[in-house]
Amino acid sequence: MTDMTQSSSTQISTPSATSSSFDILRHQFLQIWQVLAALVLIYLTFFVLSEPFRSLDTLLSIFGQASILAILACGTTVVLISGGLDLSVGSIFAVVGVIVGIALAEYQLPVIVAVVIGLAAGAFMGALNGTIQVFTKVPAFIVTLGGLTAYKGIAEILASGRDLSRFPESFQMLGSGYLVPMTIMFAVALVTGLFLTKTQLGNHAFAVGGNEEVARLSGVNVRKSRIYYYMIGGLLAATAAILEVSKLNFAMPARGQSYELFAIAAVVIGGTSLFGGRGGVGKTLIGMLIMQTIIVGLSYLGVGTSVQRIAIGIIIILAVYWDVWRRPTR
Amino acid sequence: MTKQDADKIILQARGLSKRYGGVVALEDVDLELRQGEVLAVVGDNGAGKSTLIKALTGAIAKTAGRVEIDGQEVHIDSPTQAKAVGIETVYQDLALVDELSITKNMFLGREIKRKDVFGRLFGTLDFAKMDTEIRALFQKLDIRIADIYREAEAFSGGQRQAVALAKTVMFGKRIAILDEPTAALGVRESKMAMDLVNSLKDHGLSVIMITHNMQHVMNYCDRVMVLRLGRLAAVRDVKDVDGDTLVGLITGTVEDKAA
Repeated sequence: MTDMTQSSSTQISTPSATSSSFDILRHQFLQIWQVLAALVLIYLTFFVLSEPFRSLDTLLSIFGQASILAILACGTTVVLISGGLDLSVGSIFAVVGVIVGIALAEYQLPVIVAVVIGLAAGAFMGALNGTIQVFTKVPAFIVTLGGLTAYKGIAEILASGRDLSRFPESFQMLGSGYLVPMTIMFAVALVTGLFLTKTQLGNHAFAVGGNEEVARLSGVNVRKSRIYYYMIGGLLAATAAILEVSKLNFAMPARGQSYELFAIAAVVIGGTSLFGGRGGVGKTLIGMLIMQTIIVGLSYLGVGTSVQRIAIGIIIILAVYWDVWRRPTR
Repeated sequence: MTKQDADKIILQARGLSKRYGGVVALEDVDLELRQGEVLAVVGDNGAGKSTLIKALTGAIAKTAGRVEIDGQEVHIDSPTQAKAVGIETVYQDLALVDELSITKNMFLGREIKRKDVFGRLFGTLDFAKMDTEIRALFQKLDIRIADIYREAEAFSGGQRQAVALAKTVMFGKRIAILDEPTAALGVRESKMAMDLVNSLKDHGLSVIMITHNMQHVMNYCDRVMVLRLGRLAAVRDVKDVDGDTLVGLITGTVEDKAA
């Protein structure tokens, strides 16, 4: 038995506890370096091509523009890793913006209360998507496509005939400038990353997204877990919405339009699998930075928004192609 | 182990049936598993082997039948309940999640949480402890997989099966149920897997094993039950039966005298 296992195994056991955390770090770096290299390369390209692009201000504005969408995309990352899909987060974003706007402008509630109401509303809408999906077994694409239009309608009804602007100064602090949104973005990414890698529920997202049936047979409560992942997606969409309402100093139901697509694009460009089971928020941050660098860089080169959209579209397809190509055939 | 212990019935199922609408997949099958034995379940494709195991472990809802463990009736309606009464199952093709590391696969659904405040509040996991337990177990079972942080898909079929079997040793309190543990394995890897199955006995587990390999039945099993068209065709001690008779019982050319 001994000779046999020795000859047929790829590695010979060398148990050592000290190398473990280093191994994990090395492993994560190997997974992320390609997208990181792509980001640096894209940044350097624009750096060479455009002189005004070379300023620190530009770099900060890339981070600043990325931050709100990146927060939303952290939620999308969790949902996609678990093998789910939520197309309605852009509309959840709109509803939360309007709700927070009403709470502040019409009811003059304290900022903290308005924020908590907004976050709770986002989490509720996300959880509702998940609940409908796991119990009706209607595909996530359809449930959340329905959510996309339904929540949008709710946002319009809530906002109609209301002037949702001129919020208290303490609220405007949240989204103004680059520093606060960036800090919140990194904090959200850190917490979401810790959730995915360190907690039981977070680890189950990879299991459920990788092979739902194995997870179920192993005793994972797949339905309950899925509802939580959608709830996190809604919660982070709400966080992003609150920052944007604060930044703009007004709320309107048209905000958030196609944000879900930008988020999915960033997640996929970063290297999280659209098919579930693989990915992480670090990748998503890089993916979002790649997208914003391209958008900002192209504008500095005088390329209009229409061509920027074409460029992003092509990159999304390439990113998914890469995901399909490297995935082993089942 | 005394003779008396060896004959002790640990699991007993009576009248197990499963119908899908009008289609009968399993009809009135009885099963007895004795302490410390390896019981083979053989039969042609569609004979009801997988259905029997799934009904027994709560992976599918059975239409009729009762299950007793140590003479006490137990209700197993989900894989979680099966685990709670001490039954570990290795399903064919459904043993491991490709995307998860060996550690995460071994402990999937039963992760060890940290004892500190983070563990209690957020359910953070104690990977160091899980790694240590796996390394100790792999050493005991002579499974040579060093890189337990790598995803399961990086390993060969034999190594994956070894991990799945190790999982039954780690968590199986009484009974291991194996659905074709050597399917899709080469000759050498099959031998490795079957040696592991054999060692399950040493770890106090009684084993039910579906197999298509008559040689494995002869070399590794104590008793064999034959299913044909969803019904129990025969149960024999392996020492009282030869390969040809067994094939005859499977295909129906030999009728069971005892029945």
